Amino acid sequence: MYTVSTRSTDWIEIFRTDKGVVYQCDATQRLILEFWDTYTALSARDFAQFRRMVETVDVRQMALSTDSAHDVEILTPPRSERCYVLTLCEIIHLRELLSGAQMMLELNSLLRECGCTLP
Amino acid sequence: MKDLARLRTPVKESVELALNQQIQMEMVSSSKYLAMAGWCDRNGFDYSAGFFYKQSEEERGHAMKLFHYLCDQGATAISPEVPAVAQEFDTLRSVFEGALEQEIAVTDSINRIIAVCRRENDFATEELLRWYVKEQMEEEYIARRCLDLFDQIPADQIFELDKQLSKVTYDGNVFE
Repeated sequence: MYTVSTRSTDWIEIFRTDKGVVYQCDATQRLILEFWDTYTALSARDFAQFRRMVETVDVRQMALSTDSAHDVEILTPPRSERCYVLTLCEIIHLRELLSGAQMMLELNSLLRECGCTLP
Repeated sequence: MKDLARLRTPVKESVELALNQQIQMEMVSSSKYLAMAGWCDRNGFDYSAGFFYKQSEEERGHAMKLFHYLCDQGATAISPEVPAVAQEFDTLRSVFEGALEQEIAVTDSINRIIAVCRRENDFATEELLRWYVKEQMEEEYIARRCLDLFDQIPADQIFELDKQLSKVTYDGNVFE
């Protein structure tokens, strides 16, 4: 596992919201998720897997259920020691952040296919 | 800036999702055919049982082919959930009708995935799926031909019908 504790100047900012940031590190080929004032470095595959995990959380059940077990969702990114215990609002914020980052990654792929390169 | 998504895999996420759904569909087909084989077996239709045991294995093979493809391409293949399938049938004919409906559903699904591949310019996956197009043509032919036999062989010769059903093959692949 690749761990980070502080932000590096080599990281390229991919997407930012009020609640977090996703960076890309070309040297290590990792995507770094800054959320809750912590940094979690993930491979492209693990990032996609974690995004799917967040997307498939049943937020409707969290919103409607009166059972305290549905107040939070516990998510662990693949091959990471990080463990997120997230409320409904935090799930929504994380979804927004990860989806935005995914869109930027897809845009980067499109640009590469067109022969353009970003610095 | 490196294109990390492309470095990971040439398979786009929409194609990956569609192939994982197809893996599940093939595994559900395998489970349905196994249930059909079991029903035939316990009702004395030994030849049809053998036919469906073989079909069940074939469907699993189709799923595994896609599973290995995704793994080889660096994408994520997901071992699917297989829901409960019907275990009881009214008649031998209804078993074969169910088989044809299942094959038609698989053919439609393959065609939809090819459309996704074309949209994403994924020629490698489309090439793989050409094999499935031919396979489905054969599968549909056999299922349809089996149903024809129900009309051609009198109902009182059910055990002769059982024997003939297991002999249906497709040897006229127009692509070869």
